[in-house]
Amino acid sequence: MEDIRQEIDQDRRAFIRKVLGGTIAGSLLLVIPMPASAVLRVAEQIPGMQEETEVFTKKRFVFVVDITACIGCGSCCVADKAEYNVPDGNYRTWVERYIIDDHDDVYVDSPNGGLDGYIQPREGLPHPTRDTFFVPKLCNMCEKPSCTQVCPVGATYKTGDGFVLVDKTRCVGCSYCVQACPYSVRFINPETRTAEKCTWCYHRVRKGYLPACVSVCPTQARKFGDLNDTNSEVWKILHEPHVVSVLKPDMGNQPALHYVGLRREVV
Amino acid sequence: MHKESRSRYNAHLIKLIIALVVVGVGGYFAKQALSPDTMGQYGHYRGADIEDQKNIALKLGTNDSCFQCHQPIRTIHKDGVHKTVSCEVCHGSYGNHIGDNDEKIGTLPVKRGDEISQLCLRCHNKVIQARPREFIKMVGYPEHLEQMQVNPTHNCSQCHMVHDPLLWIRQAREMMRMPEGA
Repeated sequence: MEDIRQEIDQDRRAFIRKVLGGTIAGSLLLVIPMPASAVLRVAEQIPGMQEETEVFTKKRFVFVVDITACIGCGSCCVADKAEYNVPDGNYRTWVERYIIDDHDDVYVDSPNGGLDGYIQPREGLPHPTRDTFFVPKLCNMCEKPSCTQVCPVGATYKTGDGFVLVDKTRCVGCSYCVQACPYSVRFINPETRTAEKCTWCYHRVRKGYLPACVSVCPTQARKFGDLNDTNSEVWKILHEPHVVSVLKPDMGNQPALHYVGLRREVV
Repeated sequence: MHKESRSRYNAHLIKLIIALVVVGVGGYFAKQALSPDTMGQYGHYRGADIEDQKNIALKLGTNDSCFQCHQPIRTIHKDGVHKTVSCEVCHGSYGNHIGDNDEKIGTLPVKRGDEISQLCLRCHNKVIQARPREFIKMVGYPEHLEQMQVNPTHNCSQCHMVHDPLLWIRQAREMMRMPEGA
């Protein structure tokens, strides 16, 4: 104790400087936001996203689903449920199984939205199967969304960079948007009583990470990227010869979700 | 119109106009007071919601998030045929394991026995015809066990290292000096 007192007396100024410095540095640590979790220290999956500080990004995101690559494992559904804690029986994304028989009758099923994978073949069909494939479904992020037009309280909207989002604090749960969506991607969350849908993982994308379903897909059947970048994989798919189409083009919503190898039977 | 029929009393009109103005002005201020501050900043929605949506915390990481700590598995996983398979689909989400300050907050359940085979069959079950064959190795179950002449009660993980399913198979072939595909 005596030693400390002596030291303080010897150099009061230095002591005060140190204490002040420590206090200021300490309080700055509280103010300056630290990277929230270790996830953020991993290299970003979408190049250049962490430099995008404007309200809206300069990118033009599109989502491409390759039907010829989907194996129906349901990894995307598992990831989606984990990321958003989606209540049982509701699906932000799901995988449908299409079966076309030799009489050209089409059968579609999606047991538990594909969340448990496809374990059993579909039985009890009257004719032999001609063709069968999986079709993952998610929000189409329309250029001209029907859902935003019908919202009476301005709770759902399209951002300047093309994401259609739902403001939970504004939504009154009237379900107009659920009915307006031509792709049936919206539902009313039974816990919050507000409309909910796939957001293409807006919070992940803005931090530089791919949507959860894209990140986990083992066969790269789901692709996500920037159309303004002519080197991106999605640009190449949409500008080079491929069988590419959107769902229900006649509805005029102009989706940003494209399907590679889409068959006419898919609705 | 005859001049006599026009009323010279217009107090009722003035009252109506005053009432309309009061309702209009009152309504305007009520709307200002009740709508959120950033409503209409970029369009007919609450502008601050964009920031709110941006700041939602991530639950899932990437495979690289897991490999920050789990290095031995990384060396096996990154060279194997399962390198595109996500850690979190089988093991559970990163957010349930690691907290905001990089501390461990929970143990993810370990899959055992039949659960492992069920996970394998999500992708590899031959009876599901809708799967494009060129992408993935398909096996019939339990026919594969019979063909390989192993106990039919075996789990996949008893012969296949789940993080690189051909690792042990390759090693066994090398040890036995067997050619590929034997």
